[in-house]
Amino acid sequence: MSSHREAPEISKDPVADSTDVYAFVSPDKSDTVTLIANYIPLQLPSGGPNFYEFGDDVLYEIHIDNDGDGRADISYQFRFRTTVRNTGTFLYNTGPIGSLNDPNWNRVQTCDVAVVSDGSFATLGSGLPCPPCNIGPLSTPDYAGLAAAAVNRLGGGISVFAGQRAEAFYVDLGAIFDLGDLRPFANLHAFGQLSPAPGVNATNNLNVNSIALQVPISSVTRSGHPTIGVWTTASRQRVRLWDADSGEDINAGPFRQVSRLGNPLVNEVLIPLGKKDLWNSLPPDDDKQFAVYVTQPGLAALLPVLYPGVFGNLAALVASGAARADLEAILLTGIPSGIVPHFTNFTGSVLADMLRLNTSIPPTKNPNILGVVGGDLAGFPNGRRVTDDVVTIELRAIAGLTYPLVAPTYTPDAAAGEITDGLTPSSVHASPLGQFPYLGVPYSGYDEPS
Amino acid sequence: MPSHDAKRASAERAGDLNPLAGSAGRRLSRRSVLQGVATAGAAGLAATTLGATVSPAAAAAGPAASTAASQSSPRSGDAAKAASGPLVVHVRDARSGDIEVFSGTSQTRLRDKNLAARIARAAG
Repeated sequence: MSSHREAPEISKDPVADSTDVYAFVSPDKSDTVTLIANYIPLQLPSGGPNFYEFGDDVLYEIHIDNDGDGRADISYQFRFRTTVRNTGTFLYNTGPIGSLNDPNWNRVQTCDVAVVSDGSFATLGSGLPCPPCNIGPLSTPDYAGLAAAAVNRLGGGISVFAGQRAEAFYVDLGAIFDLGDLRPFANLHAFGQLSPAPGVNATNNLNVNSIALQVPISSVTRSGHPTIGVWTTASRQRVRLWDADSGEDINAGPFRQVSRLGNPLVNEVLIPLGKKDLWNSLPPDDDKQFAVYVTQPGLAALLPVLYPGVFGNLAALVASGAARADLEAILLTGIPSGIVPHFTNFTGSVLADMLRLNTSIPPTKNPNILGVVGGDLAGFPNGRRVTDDVVTIELRAIAGLTYPLVAPTYTPDAAAGEITDGLTPSSVHASPLGQFPYLGVPYSGYDEPS
Repeated sequence: MPSHDAKRASAERAGDLNPLAGSAGRRLSRRSVLQGVATAGAAGLAATTLGATVSPAAAAAGPAASTAASQSSPRSGDAAKAASGPLVVHVRDARSGDIEVFSGTSQTRLRDKNLAARIARAAG
Protein backbone atom coordinates (compact mmCIF):
# COMPACT_ATOMS: atom_id res chain seq x y z
CA MET A 1 0.00 0.00 0.00
CA SER A 2 1.07 3.55 -0.37
CA SER A 3 1.81 3.78 3.32
CA HIS A 4 -0.94 1.86 5.04
CA ARG A 5 0.41 -0.19 7.94
CA GLU A 6 3.84 0.17 6.37
CA ALA A 7 6.00 -0.03 9.49
CA PRO A 8 5.81 -2.33 12.51
CA GLU A 9 5.12 0.26 15.20
CA ILE A 10 2.69 2.50 13.33
CA SER A 11 0.70 -0.51 12.17
CA LYS A 12 -0.42 -0.82 15.80
CA ASP A 13 -1.58 2.80 15.93
CA PRO A 14 -4.11 3.32 13.11
CA VAL A 15 -5.31 6.79 14.08
CA ALA A 16 -1.76 8.09 13.65
CA ASP A 17 -0.99 5.99 10.57
CA SER A 18 -0.70 8.14 7.45
CA THR A 19 -1.78 6.33 4.32
CA ASP A 20 -1.50 8.72 1.37
CA VAL A 21 -0.54 12.26 0.54
CA TYR A 22 -1.83 14.13 -2.48
CA ALA A 23 -0.63 17.51 -3.72
CA PHE A 24 -1.83 19.10 -6.92
CA VAL A 25 -2.79 22.39 -8.46
CA SER A 26 -6.55 22.50 -7.97
CA PRO A 27 -8.11 21.66 -11.33
CA ASP A 28 -11.10 23.94 -10.77
CA LYS A 29 -9.20 26.71 -9.02
CA SER A 30 -5.77 26.88 -10.56
CA ASP A 31 -4.44 29.67 -8.36
CA THR A 32 -4.57 27.26 -5.42
CA VAL A 33 -2.96 23.99 -4.42
CA THR A 34 -4.81 21.18 -2.74
CA LEU A 35 -2.97 19.16 -0.13
CA ILE A 36 -4.53 15.99 1.28
CA ALA A 37 -3.22 13.73 4.02
CA ASN A 38 -5.10 10.51 4.70
CA TYR A 39 -5.07 8.58 7.95
CA ILE A 40 -6.68 5.52 9.55
CA PRO A 41 -6.27 2.86 6.87
CA LEU A 42 -8.56 0.15 5.62
CA GLN A 43 -11.78 1.27 7.29
CA LEU A 44 -14.58 -1.21 6.94
CA PRO A 45 -17.55 1.13 6.45
CA SER A 46 -19.80 -0.95 8.72
CA GLY A 47 -17.29 -0.79 11.58
CA GLY A 48 -19.60 0.53 14.31
CA PRO A 49 -20.84 1.24 16.84
CA ASN A 50 -17.68 3.22 17.48
CA PHE A 51 -17.05 4.53 14.02
CA TYR A 52 -13.76 5.97 12.86
CA GLU A 53 -12.46 9.30 14.06
CA PHE A 54 -9.22 11.22 14.29
CA GLY A 55 -7.22 10.90 17.48
CA ASP A 56 -7.80 13.70 19.96
CA ASP A 57 -4.34 12.93 21.32
CA VAL A 58 -2.58 13.08 17.95
CA LEU A 59 -1.04 16.15 16.34
CA TYR A 60 -1.52 15.94 12.59
CA GLU A 61 0.53 18.17 10.32
CA ILE A 62 0.97 18.93 6.65
CA HIS A 63 4.37 20.46 5.97
CA ILE A 64 5.68 22.52 3.10
CA ASP A 65 9.31 23.14 2.26
CA ASN A 66 9.59 25.97 -0.23
CA ASP A 67 13.34 26.51 -0.34
CA GLY A 68 14.62 23.00 -0.92
CA ASP A 69 16.36 22.26 2.35
CA GLY A 70 14.04 19.43 3.35
CA ARG A 71 12.77 21.33 6.38
CA ALA A 72 9.34 22.72 6.95
CA ASP A 73 8.90 26.39 6.16
CA ILE A 74 5.17 26.15 6.67
CA SER A 75 3.42 23.60 8.86
CA TYR A 76 -0.35 23.37 8.98
CA GLN A 77 -1.43 21.75 12.21
CA PHE A 78 -4.66 19.92 12.96
CA ARG A 79 -5.98 18.92 16.39
CA PHE A 80 -9.28 17.25 17.08
CA ARG A 81 -11.76 17.33 19.92
CA THR A 82 -14.47 14.75 20.47
CA THR A 83 -17.65 15.42 22.39
CA VAL A 84 -20.16 12.80 23.51
CA ARG A 85 -23.55 14.36 23.86
CA ASN A 86 -25.29 11.45 25.53
CA THR A 87 -23.19 9.02 27.51
CA GLY A 88 -26.25 6.98 28.42
CA THR A 89 -26.58 5.24 25.07
CA PHE A 90 -24.34 2.96 23.11
CA LEU A 91 -25.46 4.55 19.86
CA TYR A 92 -23.31 6.74 17.60
CA ASN A 93 -26.55 8.45 16.63
CA THR A 94 -30.00 8.28 18.16
CA GLY A 95 -31.86 9.19 14.97
CA PRO A 96 -31.20 10.49 11.48
CA ILE A 97 -28.36 13.00 11.31
CA GLY A 98 -29.80 15.81 9.21
CA SER A 99 -27.18 18.46 9.87
CA LEU A 100 -23.81 18.91 11.52
CA ASN A 101 -25.47 20.25 14.67
CA ASP A 102 -28.23 17.66 14.75
CA PRO A 103 -28.74 16.49 18.37
CA ASN A 104 -29.26 12.97 17.05
CA TRP A 105 -25.51 12.83 16.34
CA ASN A 106 -24.08 11.60 19.59
CA ARG A 107 -20.34 11.57 19.09
CA VAL A 108 -19.19 14.78 17.47
CA GLN A 109 -15.69 15.73 16.42
CA THR A 110 -14.38 19.22 15.70
CA CYS A 111 -11.05 20.42 14.37
CA ASP A 112 -8.66 23.21 15.30
CA VAL A 113 -6.36 24.40 12.51
CA ALA A 114 -3.20 26.44 12.91
CA VAL A 115 -0.14 27.34 10.90
CA VAL A 116 3.46 27.65 11.97
CA SER A 117 5.56 29.73 9.61
CA ASP A 118 8.77 31.68 10.00
CA GLY A 119 8.77 31.12 13.73
CA SER A 120 5.27 32.34 14.33
CA PHE A 121 2.10 30.50 15.21
CA ALA A 122 -1.34 31.51 14.05
CA THR A 123 -4.73 29.95 14.61
CA LEU A 124 -6.68 29.61 11.38
CA GLY A 125 -9.84 28.11 12.78
CA SER A 126 -11.21 26.60 15.98
CA GLY A 127 -14.04 24.20 16.56
CA LEU A 128 -14.50 23.57 12.85
CA PRO A 129 -17.11 20.90 12.25
CA CYS A 130 -16.14 17.50 10.94
CA PRO A 131 -18.79 15.31 9.30
CA PRO A 132 -19.97 12.07 10.87
CA CYS A 133 -19.04 8.78 9.30
CA ASN A 134 -21.30 7.50 6.56
CA ILE A 135 -23.49 5.11 8.53
CA GLY A 136 -26.33 4.27 6.17
CA PRO A 137 -29.53 5.56 4.61
CA LEU A 138 -31.45 5.72 7.89
CA SER A 139 -28.75 7.49 9.88
CA THR A 140 -27.08 9.67 7.26
CA PRO A 141 -29.68 9.97 4.50
CA ASP A 142 -27.98 12.93 2.79
CA TYR A 143 -24.35 12.15 3.45
CA ALA A 144 -23.02 14.18 0.55
CA GLY A 145 -24.83 17.21 1.89
CA LEU A 146 -23.51 16.67 5.40
CA ALA A 147 -19.96 16.40 4.14
CA ALA A 148 -20.31 19.44 1.91
CA ALA A 149 -21.38 21.44 4.95
CA ALA A 150 -18.14 20.42 6.64
CA VAL A 151 -16.02 22.20 4.02
CA ASN A 152 -14.81 25.13 6.06
CA ARG A 153 -13.92 28.35 4.26
CA LEU A 154 -11.35 30.21 6.31
CA GLY A 155 -9.76 33.60 5.79
CA GLY A 156 -7.02 34.12 3.24
CA GLY A 157 -8.62 31.90 0.63
CA ILE A 158 -8.05 28.74 2.67
CA SER A 159 -10.47 25.82 2.69
CA VAL A 160 -10.30 22.90 5.10
CA PHE A 161 -12.09 19.60 5.32
CA ALA A 162 -11.40 16.87 7.84
CA GLY A 163 -13.43 13.70 7.87
CA GLN A 164 -14.18 10.36 6.33
CA ARG A 165 -13.71 9.85 2.58
CA ALA A 166 -13.70 6.96 0.14
CA GLU A 167 -10.29 5.40 -0.34
CA ALA A 168 -8.98 6.54 -3.72
CA PHE A 169 -5.69 4.67 -3.75
CA TYR A 170 -5.90 1.46 -5.73
CA VAL A 171 -3.53 -1.45 -5.37
CA ASP A 172 -3.62 -5.23 -5.59
CA LEU A 173 -2.35 -5.93 -2.11
CA GLY A 174 -3.38 -9.53 -2.07
CA ALA A 175 -1.19 -10.38 -5.02
CA ILE A 176 1.73 -8.03 -4.41
CA PHE A 177 2.28 -9.24 -0.88
CA ASP A 178 2.03 -12.82 -2.07
CA LEU A 179 5.66 -12.95 -3.11
CA GLY A 180 5.42 -10.03 -5.50
CA ASP A 181 2.79 -11.48 -7.75
CA LEU A 182 1.33 -9.21 -10.41
CA ARG A 183 -1.83 -10.99 -11.51
CA PRO A 184 -1.67 -9.92 -15.19
CA PHE A 185 1.78 -11.54 -15.38
CA ALA A 186 1.23 -14.37 -12.90
CA ASN A 187 2.16 -16.99 -15.50
CA LEU A 188 5.68 -15.59 -15.55
CA HIS A 189 6.20 -15.79 -11.79
CA ALA A 190 8.97 -18.07 -10.60
CA PHE A 191 7.12 -19.70 -7.74
CA GLY A 192 3.81 -20.75 -9.18
CA GLN A 193 1.69 -21.93 -11.99
CA LEU A 194 -0.98 -19.26 -11.73
CA SER A 195 -2.86 -18.04 -14.73
CA PRO A 196 -2.85 -14.39 -15.76
CA ALA A 197 -5.79 -12.51 -14.30
CA PRO A 198 -7.01 -8.95 -13.89
CA GLY A 199 -5.90 -7.09 -10.81
CA VAL A 200 -8.04 -6.99 -7.68
CA ASN A 201 -8.30 -3.66 -5.89
CA ALA A 202 -7.81 -4.56 -2.24
CA THR A 203 -8.73 -1.08 -1.03
CA ASN A 204 -11.98 -0.86 -2.96
CA ASN A 205 -15.09 -0.15 -0.89
CA LEU A 206 -13.02 0.93 2.09
CA ASN A 207 -12.76 4.36 3.64
CA VAL A 208 -10.06 6.58 5.14
CA ASN A 209 -10.05 9.77 7.19
CA SER A 210 -8.81 12.74 5.20
CA ILE A 211 -7.39 16.10 6.11
CA ALA A 212 -7.74 18.27 3.04
CA LEU A 213 -6.43 21.78 2.70
CA GLN A 214 -6.71 24.20 -0.20
CA VAL A 215 -4.48 27.26 -0.08
CA PRO A 216 -3.47 29.97 -2.52
CA ILE A 217 -0.27 29.09 -4.37
CA SER A 218 1.07 32.53 -3.55
CA SER A 219 0.84 31.74 0.17
CA VAL A 220 3.07 28.68 0.05
CA THR A 221 5.70 29.50 -2.58
CA ARG A 222 8.62 31.88 -2.62
CA SER A 223 9.09 34.30 -5.44
CA GLY A 224 10.89 32.62 -8.30
CA HIS A 225 10.63 29.17 -6.67
CA PRO A 226 7.40 27.55 -7.81
CA THR A 227 8.24 24.05 -6.55
CA ILE A 228 7.17 23.01 -3.07
CA GLY A 229 7.94 19.84 -1.14
CA VAL A 230 5.02 18.37 0.78
CA TRP A 231 4.75 15.73 3.46
CA THR A 232 2.58 14.86 6.42
CA THR A 233 3.42 13.78 9.93
CA ALA A 234 1.55 12.55 12.96
CA SER A 235 2.96 13.06 16.42
CA ARG A 236 2.17 11.83 19.89
CA GLN A 237 3.24 13.11 23.26
CA ARG A 238 6.20 11.27 24.68
CA VAL A 239 4.29 9.74 27.56
CA ARG A 240 1.03 7.86 27.29
CA LEU A 241 -0.12 6.23 30.48
CA TRP A 242 -3.25 4.17 30.94
CA ASP A 243 -5.02 5.53 34.01
CA ALA A 244 -7.09 2.55 35.02
CA ASP A 245 -8.95 4.54 37.66
CA SER A 246 -10.38 7.02 35.18
CA GLY A 247 -10.43 4.61 32.28
CA GLU A 248 -8.54 6.86 29.93
CA ASP A 249 -5.06 7.68 28.77
CA ILE A 250 -2.95 10.38 30.32
CA ASN A 251 -0.67 12.15 27.86
CA ALA A 252 2.27 14.32 28.84
CA GLY A 253 5.43 15.77 27.40
CA PRO A 254 6.41 17.21 24.06
CA PHE A 255 5.08 15.75 20.84
CA ARG A 256 7.26 13.35 18.88
CA GLN A 257 6.77 12.23 15.33
CA VAL A 258 5.48 8.69 14.90
CA SER A 259 4.39 8.72 11.26
CA ARG A 260 5.65 10.41 8.08
CA LEU A 261 4.66 10.28 4.44
CA GLY A 262 5.77 12.17 1.35
CA ASN A 263 6.13 10.14 -1.82
CA PRO A 264 3.97 7.02 -2.00
CA LEU A 265 5.51 3.65 -1.29
CA VAL A 266 8.91 4.91 -0.11
CA ASN A 267 8.72 3.63 3.44
CA GLU A 268 6.41 0.84 2.34
CA VAL A 269 8.55 -0.70 -0.38
CA LEU A 270 12.03 0.82 -0.36
CA ILE A 271 12.99 1.17 3.30
CA PRO A 272 13.95 -2.14 4.92
CA LEU A 273 11.98 -3.54 7.83
CA GLY A 274 14.61 -2.73 10.40
CA LYS A 275 14.64 0.97 9.47
CA LYS A 276 10.96 1.71 8.90
CA ASP A 277 10.13 2.86 12.41
CA LEU A 278 13.22 5.07 12.48
CA TRP A 279 12.29 6.55 9.10
CA ASN A 280 8.85 7.41 10.45
CA SER A 281 10.38 9.35 13.32
CA LEU A 282 12.70 11.58 11.30
CA PRO A 283 12.30 14.70 9.18
CA PRO A 284 13.00 14.59 5.43
CA ASP A 285 16.30 16.39 5.71
CA ASP A 286 17.66 13.36 7.53
CA ASP A 287 16.96 11.13 4.54
CA LYS A 288 20.53 11.02 3.26
CA GLN A 289 21.06 7.99 5.49
CA PHE A 290 18.27 6.18 3.62
CA ALA A 291 19.37 7.19 0.12
CA VAL A 292 21.02 3.86 -0.60
CA TYR A 293 17.66 2.12 -0.31
CA VAL A 294 16.34 4.41 -3.03
CA THR A 295 19.33 4.31 -5.35
CA GLN A 296 19.84 0.57 -4.97
CA PRO A 297 16.34 -0.66 -4.24
CA GLY A 298 15.83 -4.21 -3.11
CA LEU A 299 12.81 -4.56 -5.37
CA ALA A 300 14.98 -3.96 -8.46
CA ALA A 301 17.06 -6.95 -7.44
CA LEU A 302 13.97 -9.04 -6.70
CA LEU A 303 12.13 -8.52 -9.98
CA PRO A 304 14.61 -10.56 -12.10
CA VAL A 305 14.42 -13.33 -9.51
CA LEU A 306 10.64 -13.37 -9.27
CA TYR A 307 10.21 -13.13 -13.04
CA PRO A 308 13.11 -15.10 -14.51
CA GLY A 309 14.06 -14.27 -18.04
CA VAL A 310 11.90 -11.14 -18.08
CA PHE A 311 14.21 -8.53 -16.61
CA GLY A 312 17.61 -9.40 -18.06
CA ASN A 313 18.76 -5.82 -18.55
CA LEU A 314 17.58 -4.86 -15.07
CA ALA A 315 19.50 -7.78 -13.61
CA ALA A 316 22.65 -6.59 -15.32
CA LEU A 317 22.07 -3.05 -14.11
CA VAL A 318 21.66 -4.27 -10.55
CA ALA A 319 24.74 -6.44 -10.83
CA SER A 320 26.77 -3.46 -12.01
CA GLY A 321 26.14 -1.75 -8.70
CA ALA A 322 25.23 1.48 -10.46
CA ALA A 323 23.35 3.92 -8.30
CA ARG A 324 19.90 4.68 -9.64
CA ALA A 325 20.20 8.41 -10.14
CA ASP A 326 16.81 8.37 -11.83
CA LEU A 327 15.10 7.16 -8.66
CA GLU A 328 17.10 9.60 -6.57
CA ALA A 329 15.83 12.43 -8.75
CA ILE A 330 12.23 11.24 -8.77
CA LEU A 331 11.99 10.68 -5.03
CA LEU A 332 14.73 12.60 -3.23
CA THR A 333 15.70 15.77 -5.14
CA GLY A 334 13.12 16.32 -7.82
CA ILE A 335 13.89 16.08 -11.53
CA PRO A 336 16.41 18.67 -12.72
CA SER A 337 15.71 20.71 -15.82
CA GLY A 338 16.97 19.31 -19.11
CA ILE A 339 15.97 15.71 -18.39
CA VAL A 340 12.26 15.80 -19.18
CA PRO A 341 11.46 18.44 -21.81
CA HIS A 342 9.78 21.55 -20.40
CA PHE A 343 9.76 20.17 -16.88
CA THR A 344 11.56 20.37 -13.59
CA ASN A 345 10.59 19.95 -9.98
CA PHE A 346 14.17 19.97 -8.73
CA THR A 347 14.55 21.51 -5.30
CA GLY A 348 18.30 21.23 -4.84
CA SER A 349 20.89 18.74 -3.73
CA VAL A 350 19.41 17.93 -0.33
CA LEU A 351 18.19 14.34 -0.36
CA ALA A 352 14.74 14.45 1.16
CA ASP A 353 11.63 12.39 0.56
CA MET A 354 9.02 15.00 -0.23
CA LEU A 355 6.19 15.05 -2.72
CA ARG A 356 7.46 17.80 -5.01
CA LEU A 357 4.97 19.90 -6.89
CA ASN A 358 5.92 22.49 -9.46
CA THR A 359 2.98 24.81 -9.02
CA SER A 360 3.70 26.68 -12.24
CA ILE A 361 2.50 23.71 -14.29
CA PRO A 362 -1.24 24.08 -14.86
CA PRO A 363 -3.69 21.24 -14.34
CA THR A 364 -4.31 18.92 -17.28
CA LYS A 365 -7.81 18.74 -18.70
CA ASN A 366 -7.42 15.09 -19.62
CA PRO A 367 -5.03 13.61 -17.05
CA ASN A 368 -2.87 10.63 -17.89
CA ILE A 369 -2.80 8.34 -14.87
CA LEU A 370 0.87 7.59 -15.56
CA GLY A 371 1.73 11.24 -14.96
CA VAL A 372 5.12 12.44 -16.17
CA VAL A 373 6.01 8.94 -17.39
CA GLY A 374 2.90 9.15 -19.57
CA GLY A 375 3.75 12.63 -20.83
CA ASP A 376 1.42 14.44 -18.43
CA LEU A 377 3.56 16.93 -16.55
CA ALA A 378 0.80 17.76 -14.07
CA GLY A 379 0.82 14.28 -12.55
CA PHE A 380 3.05 12.20 -10.32
CA PRO A 381 5.91 12.64 -9.58
CA ASN A 382 5.00 16.27 -10.10
CA GLY A 383 2.89 16.18 -6.98
CA ARG A 384 0.22 13.52 -6.97
CA ARG A 385 -3.38 13.64 -8.10
CA VAL A 386 -6.14 11.50 -6.69
CA THR A 387 -6.31 9.21 -9.71
CA ASP A 388 -2.61 8.85 -10.52
CA ASP A 389 -1.50 5.22 -10.83
CA VAL A 390 1.46 5.55 -8.50
CA VAL A 391 1.87 1.79 -8.12
CA THR A 392 2.44 1.25 -11.83
CA ILE A 393 4.57 4.38 -12.18
CA GLU A 394 6.91 3.36 -9.39
CA LEU A 395 6.97 -0.30 -10.45
CA ARG A 396 8.04 0.70 -13.94
CA ALA A 397 10.56 3.20 -12.69
CA ILE A 398 12.15 0.66 -10.37
CA ALA A 399 12.11 -1.88 -13.21
CA GLY A 400 14.36 0.46 -15.16
CA LEU A 401 12.00 2.38 -17.41
CA THR A 402 13.26 5.76 -16.22
CA TYR A 403 16.95 4.90 -16.02
CA PRO A 404 17.65 6.13 -19.59
CA LEU A 405 16.79 9.62 -18.38
CA VAL A 406 20.18 9.65 -16.68
CA ALA A 407 21.94 6.88 -18.68
CA PRO A 408 20.87 7.21 -22.31
CA THR A 409 22.77 4.09 -23.40
CA TYR A 410 20.72 1.84 -21.14
CA THR A 411 17.91 -0.09 -22.79
CA PRO A 412 15.07 -1.00 -20.45
CA ASP A 413 13.57 -4.46 -20.63
CA ALA A 414 10.38 -4.54 -22.65
CA ALA A 415 8.57 -5.61 -19.51
CA ALA A 416 9.61 -2.43 -17.71
CA GLY A 417 7.14 -0.53 -19.84
CA GLU A 418 4.42 -3.11 -19.38
CA ILE A 419 4.30 -4.22 -15.78
CA THR A 420 1.38 -3.18 -13.67
CA ASP A 421 -0.79 -4.61 -10.96
CA GLY A 422 -3.62 -4.34 -13.46
CA LEU A 423 -5.69 -1.59 -11.89
CA THR A 424 -6.97 1.81 -12.97
CA PRO A 425 -9.14 4.49 -11.38
CA SER A 426 -12.14 2.50 -12.64
CA SER A 427 -11.14 -0.10 -10.04
CA VAL A 428 -12.40 2.34 -7.40
CA HIS A 429 -16.19 2.29 -7.11
CA ALA A 430 -16.54 5.73 -5.56
CA SER A 431 -15.84 8.42 -8.11
CA PRO A 432 -13.73 11.38 -7.06
CA LEU A 433 -15.44 14.74 -6.75
CA GLY A 434 -14.83 17.51 -9.22
CA GLN A 435 -14.23 20.01 -6.46
CA PHE A 436 -12.65 20.26 -3.03
CA PRO A 437 -12.05 17.95 -1.20
CA TYR A 438 -11.95 15.84 -4.39
CA LEU A 439 -11.93 12.44 -2.69
CA GLY A 440 -15.21 10.60 -3.19
CA VAL A 441 -18.13 10.24 -0.83
CA PRO A 442 -17.28 7.49 1.66
CA TYR A 443 -18.96 4.13 1.35
CA SER A 444 -21.78 3.65 3.83
CA GLY A 445 -21.81 0.96 6.44
CA TYR A 446 -25.22 -0.16 5.21
CA ASP A 447 -23.87 -0.80 1.72
CA GLU A 448 -20.41 -2.15 2.49
CA PRO A 449 -19.54 -4.86 2.84
CA SER A 450 -22.26 -5.99 0.49
CA MET B 1 16.01 33.84 3.00
CA PRO B 2 16.93 32.54 6.48
CA SER B 3 19.88 30.22 6.90
CA HIS B 4 19.35 26.63 7.97
CA ASP B 5 20.41 27.36 11.51
CA ALA B 6 18.24 30.43 11.64
CA LYS B 7 15.29 28.44 10.34
CA ARG B 8 15.85 25.73 12.91
CA ALA B 9 16.16 28.21 15.75
CA SER B 10 13.06 29.95 14.52
CA ALA B 11 11.21 26.67 14.36
CA GLU B 12 12.27 25.79 17.88
CA ARG B 13 10.94 29.08 19.14
CA ALA B 14 7.71 28.35 17.36
CA GLY B 15 7.57 25.01 19.11
CA ASP B 16 7.91 26.71 22.44
CA LEU B 17 5.22 29.22 21.62
CA ASN B 18 2.91 26.81 19.97
CA PRO B 19 -0.01 25.62 22.06
CA LEU B 20 -0.46 22.76 19.64
CA ALA B 21 3.18 21.85 20.35
CA GLY B 22 4.09 20.68 16.91
CA SER B 23 7.12 19.23 15.32
CA ALA B 24 8.96 22.48 15.23
CA GLY B 25 10.96 21.88 18.37
CA ARG B 26 11.40 18.21 18.05
CA ARG B 27 14.68 18.05 16.19
CA LEU B 28 16.76 19.47 18.98
CA SER B 29 14.90 17.33 21.46
CA ARG B 30 15.40 14.20 19.44
CA ARG B 31 19.13 14.68 19.35
CA SER B 32 19.15 15.38 23.05
CA VAL B 33 17.10 12.30 23.72
CA LEU B 34 19.38 10.16 21.60
CA GLN B 35 22.32 11.54 23.51
CA GLY B 36 20.49 10.70 26.70
CA VAL B 37 19.85 7.16 25.58
CA ALA B 38 23.51 6.69 24.95
CA THR B 39 24.44 7.76 28.45
CA ALA B 40 21.56 6.36 30.46
CA GLY B 41 21.88 3.12 32.31
CA ALA B 42 20.11 0.04 31.07
CA ALA B 43 17.79 -0.20 34.04
CA GLY B 44 15.32 2.63 34.41
CA LEU B 45 12.50 3.16 36.84
CA ALA B 46 9.29 4.89 35.91
CA ALA B 47 7.19 6.57 38.53
CA THR B 48 3.98 8.43 37.93
CA THR B 49 2.19 10.90 40.07
CA LEU B 50 -1.08 12.65 39.60
CA GLY B 51 -1.36 16.10 41.01
CA ALA B 52 1.60 17.61 42.77
CA THR B 53 2.92 14.77 44.83
CA VAL B 54 6.32 14.98 43.18
CA SER B 55 6.72 18.66 43.77
CA PRO B 56 7.48 18.40 47.50
CA ALA B 57 10.11 15.80 46.77
CA ALA B 58 11.67 17.99 44.16
CA ALA B 59 11.63 20.90 46.55
CA ALA B 60 13.18 18.82 49.27
CA ALA B 61 16.05 17.89 47.06
CA GLY B 62 16.81 21.57 46.70
CA PRO B 63 18.29 23.41 43.78
CA ALA B 64 21.86 22.78 44.89
CA ALA B 65 21.36 19.07 44.62
CA SER B 66 20.14 19.01 41.08
CA THR B 67 20.65 20.34 37.60
CA ALA B 68 17.82 20.72 35.17
CA ALA B 69 17.47 21.34 31.47
CA SER B 70 14.12 21.98 29.92
CA GLN B 71 13.82 20.75 26.37
CA SER B 72 10.63 22.58 25.66
CA SER B 73 10.76 25.72 27.71
CA PRO B 74 7.38 26.52 29.13
CA ARG B 75 6.20 30.07 29.08
CA SER B 76 5.96 31.92 32.36
CA GLY B 77 2.76 30.93 34.05
CA ASP B 78 2.78 27.50 32.50
CA ALA B 79 4.45 26.01 35.55
CA ALA B 80 1.48 26.69 37.75
CA LYS B 81 -0.87 25.42 35.07
CA ALA B 82 1.22 22.30 34.57
CA ALA B 83 1.32 21.56 38.28
CA SER B 84 -2.44 21.26 38.31
CA GLY B 85 -2.33 18.58 35.59
CA PRO B 86 -0.62 15.25 35.47
CA LEU B 87 3.10 15.03 36.06
CA VAL B 88 4.92 11.96 34.86
CA VAL B 89 8.38 11.26 36.21
CA HIS B 90 10.68 8.83 34.49
CA VAL B 91 13.79 7.84 36.36
CA ARG B 92 16.00 6.76 33.52
CA ASP B 93 18.88 5.77 35.73
CA ALA B 94 18.57 5.83 39.51
CA ARG B 95 22.32 5.52 40.05
CA SER B 96 23.22 8.61 38.07
CA GLY B 97 20.05 10.47 39.06
CA ASP B 98 18.97 10.90 35.46
CA ILE B 99 15.31 11.91 35.60
CA GLU B 100 12.80 13.15 33.07
CA VAL B 101 9.74 15.07 34.17
CA PHE B 102 6.86 15.40 31.74
CA SER B 103 4.12 17.94 32.25
CA GLY B 104 1.72 19.37 29.72
CA THR B 105 3.72 19.52 26.53
CA SER B 106 7.05 20.13 28.24
CA GLN B 107 9.84 17.85 29.27
CA THR B 108 12.53 18.65 31.82
CA ARG B 109 15.68 16.64 32.28
CA LEU B 110 17.08 16.51 35.82
CA ARG B 111 20.22 15.03 37.25
CA ASP B 112 19.46 14.53 40.93
CA LYS B 113 20.74 11.44 42.70
CA ASN B 114 18.89 12.18 45.93
CA LEU B 115 15.54 12.60 44.25
CA ALA B 116 16.08 9.52 42.12
CA ALA B 117 16.93 7.52 45.21
CA ARG B 118 13.82 8.74 47.03
CA ILE B 119 11.59 7.82 44.13
CA ALA B 120 13.27 4.44 43.83
CA ARG B 121 12.66 3.80 47.53
CA ALA B 122 9.04 4.90 47.17
CA ALA B 123 8.62 2.44 44.31
CA GLY B 124 9.76 -0.34 46.60
